[in-house]
Amino acid sequence: MEILVCIKQVPDDSEDIRLDNVDKVTRVVNAFDTYALEMAARCKEANGGSVTVATIGDDSAVTELKSCLAVGAQKAFLIKDPAFAEYDSVAKAKILAAAIGKIEEANGAKFDIIFCGKEATDFAKGMVGIQLASELGVGVTTDVVAVDPVDGGVSVKQETETGYNVIEMATPCVVTIQKPDYDPRYPTIKSKMAARKATINEVEVAVDDAGSLTKVLKLYEPPKKQAGIKIQEETVADSTIRAVAIMAEAKVL
Amino acid sequence: MNFHFNEEEQEILDMLHDYAVKEVAPRAHEIDEEERFPQEAREGLAEMGMMGMYFPEEYGGAGLSYLSYIAVCEELAVHCATTSVVLSAHESLCCWPIFKYGTEEQKQKYLTPLASGEKLGAFGLTEPGAGTDAAMQKTVAKDEGDHWVLNGSKVFITNAQYADTFVVFAMVYRPDYKERPYTNKDISAFIVEKGFEGFSVQGHEMKMGIRGSSTCSLYFDNCIVPKENLLGEQGKGFKIAMTTLDGGRIGIAAQAVGIAQGAINETVAYTKERVQFGKPIWKFQNTQFQLADMQAKVDAARLLIYRAAQAKQDGEAHSHLAAMAKLVASETASDVARRCVQLVGGNGYSREYPFERHMRDAKITEIYEGTSEVQRMVIAGWLGATK
Repeated sequence: MEILVCIKQVPDDSEDIRLDNVDKVTRVVNAFDTYALEMAARCKEANGGSVTVATIGDDSAVTELKSCLAVGAQKAFLIKDPAFAEYDSVAKAKILAAAIGKIEEANGAKFDIIFCGKEATDFAKGMVGIQLASELGVGVTTDVVAVDPVDGGVSVKQETETGYNVIEMATPCVVTIQKPDYDPRYPTIKSKMAARKATINEVEVAVDDAGSLTKVLKLYEPPKKQAGIKIQEETVADSTIRAVAIMAEAKVL
Repeated sequence: MNFHFNEEEQEILDMLHDYAVKEVAPRAHEIDEEERFPQEAREGLAEMGMMGMYFPEEYGGAGLSYLSYIAVCEELAVHCATTSVVLSAHESLCCWPIFKYGTEEQKQKYLTPLASGEKLGAFGLTEPGAGTDAAMQKTVAKDEGDHWVLNGSKVFITNAQYADTFVVFAMVYRPDYKERPYTNKDISAFIVEKGFEGFSVQGHEMKMGIRGSSTCSLYFDNCIVPKENLLGEQGKGFKIAMTTLDGGRIGIAAQAVGIAQGAINETVAYTKERVQFGKPIWKFQNTQFQLADMQAKVDAARLLIYRAAQAKQDGEAHSHLAAMAKLVASETASDVARRCVQLVGGNGYSREYPFERHMRDAKITEIYEGTSEVQRMVIAGWLGATK
């Protein structure tokens, strides 16, 4: 199977992240993308093929792409776009869709399946995978915990709130990956050293209507919660009267 | 002297740090409490290529510097002293003498699977009557023409129960040994495999610290060792043992500094949280000054270690440098760990917290691979000969 894993750089959530220091926090590969890469690597090891990783970003993303090469990816592409931070998910999906054609051209093979993390740990919107499928005009299944090839496509196991759905999909298709019951592998000294020397391919795409449909006007921390009021009247009736009085005073009634 | 790691080494060390934080640290308490060998880490480190990291790639290693290996010994000990000694006994005491003194055939047969982490190594020198006085070996190897026959026993052998390959020392039998007692010139080194006829590993020492490491006795009861498993020249075993321990001591010194650094790190974090007299105890000058003193001493010890490691890496005389590093690092570790327990107070004494473990783990670094007294002998010997 020819697999593409789309990754995103996010602030390392093991560090203290605040709005005023977020630019200084170490960047790492989004956790759900690391699960996607591990699943893709296992898929490739069991069934053959290759795993390619790609991200939209600037030169700083090379570190993360190389870290992916040390844990199961064979090729890495940087979709270079200095304005990447301003794009919303629709714009990113459009850019990814356009870049995929170029990556396939460079690889000399079409992707059978595209893996995305189910969401990024920074904004947790969970939209790029679905919108990418829409841009590509292919099927998508979200919250996938297992992928196996079957005739003409793949069988995927989707985690739901009540259990699992097993779905057969025609390829090419997109899947967004939920945490499976295993952890991503650690790099080895050899894989790390090989990744250091690896070349990161660069792709540039021009998408006319890549403009974001949404715009972030302001990022701010929610106000700190005020201490609550304890109502401890002797009877339930008195407590109710007091509660209603407080709410009336606060003009919420 | 400049001890900076290059970018590649730093990335490997960062990778190891990440692994140690996520996989080694969370198991350290359990490994100590249950006296359980850290099998997961032994396998994980092997998979990562850490079990032979400074040996050439042609022998299954990763070809990294000795200095970075020493930094790995320290990093592991910050989180779990047991895991550090498993790696260090394997690489310093078993892989290294085979690499340094082995024939090409021995390196291919034994070093390659050891350095790749497929097999685990151990070192058998200490005997019930030959500890610090290592020349008093009672284990005897008799030349039987096409093979050697070993008889005797070894004690306190690290990794023993889990090791596949052992570097073992014995007196080569002489018929006139009663008139002319054995000396250290009669000692030879041998490579013994688990499963050799007449060889067994028995017992498990109940230790004060590094309780997860496997420490057992080795027994040789007419143990048959192939002729080609003599390591180095016959009669050069004592030199092989001593030069091996020179390197081993740098690893143990790094383990000591790791234990001390781990104790300091945990104590700083604890004292920032623990409130007494209305403020975190970190805010008291006594806490800050004590920890500042400790950190300065740990850094001084670390520099001695790096100096010794650099000398070994560069092929320079390092016996006295290794002895100084181990002496200072191990005594610093014990002192730091004890003072951290005191700063933490009651919780420092509780097994619910790691502080008392650091104190127990630190003590062994003053004893094994040469006691502090042996280090003073080595340093004094160098002083007497050169000054």
